[in-house]
Amino acid sequence: MTARRTVPAEASQLGVLHEFLQEFGAAAGLGPARIQSLELALEEIFLNVVMHGSQPGTSPRVEVSLALDADTVTMTVEDDGPPFDPLSLPPPELHLSLEERRVGGLGVFLVRQMMDSVDYARVAGRNQLRMRKRHAR
Amino acid sequence: MNLRTEALTEVTYLIPEGRLDFDAAPGFQQAIDLLLSATPRPAAVVIDGAGLEYVSSAGLRAVLLGARAAQKAGIPFALCALQPAVREVFELSGFSKIIPVHRARL
Repeated sequence: MTARRTVPAEASQLGVLHEFLQEFGAAAGLGPARIQSLELALEEIFLNVVMHGSQPGTSPRVEVSLALDADTVTMTVEDDGPPFDPLSLPPPELHLSLEERRVGGLGVFLVRQMMDSVDYARVAGRNQLRMRKRHAR
Repeated sequence: MNLRTEALTEVTYLIPEGRLDFDAAPGFQQAIDLLLSATPRPAAVVIDGAGLEYVSSAGLRAVLLGARAAQKAGIPFALCALQPAVREVFELSGFSKIIPVHRARL
C-alpha cells in the first residue's frame, strides 16, 4: 500500500500533511502511537525543509511518500531545494541544565530516536530523506 | 500531642488539550508568559498534560522557554499526567531531567 502527496515548503501546509498521514494511517490500519511517531517525524523534517530550503520568492516542492509492507512503514520526504543533509546537524547536548540547554536542534534528534532508520541522499537534484519504522507486533 | 499543619498553595494549572505542534506553540508560550506575570503571582505553575495528545520539538521549545522564564521569576514549574506518547518525547529529549514531571496531579 502506498500514498503520495506534494506540497510547497510552507509552514501553512502542516495541516494538509497531518490529514494525509491520518488518512494513510486509518487505511493502513496503523495504531495511534504509530501514526503519531510518523507525524512527529514528518513535522520535524518538513519544517527543516521550510527553514533551510526556501530562497527569496520561491519555496521548494516537497513530495511525501508512504509505503507499507509486511512489517515496515517507509516514509520518504523529497524536495527540490538546495542540497541540505539534516543528518549533518550536531545532536543536542542532553546533559546541560535548564539555563544552558539550547532551544534548537531537537527535531532531527527526535526523528532519529523514533525511527528505526533514517538515511539521506541527494538524488537527481533532490534531497531525499528516507525513514523506516517497523511495526510493533 | 496533636500536631497539625495545613498549607494552602495556589497552584495554577495550565491545561492544554489536543496537539502542541508548530502552529500551537506560540500561543502556548504566550499563555505561560501571561500566567507567570499575572497578579497575584501564582505560587506554582503546573502543566496538566492529561489532554495533550501530541508534542513536537516546537512544543518542547515553548515548554523549555516557559520553564526558564519561571525559574527566572522564582516560580516553581512542573508538568504532570502526561500521556505515554508525550512522555516518551519528553524523556527522549532529556527535558524530563531538567523539568519536574509528575505522574499525576499533586
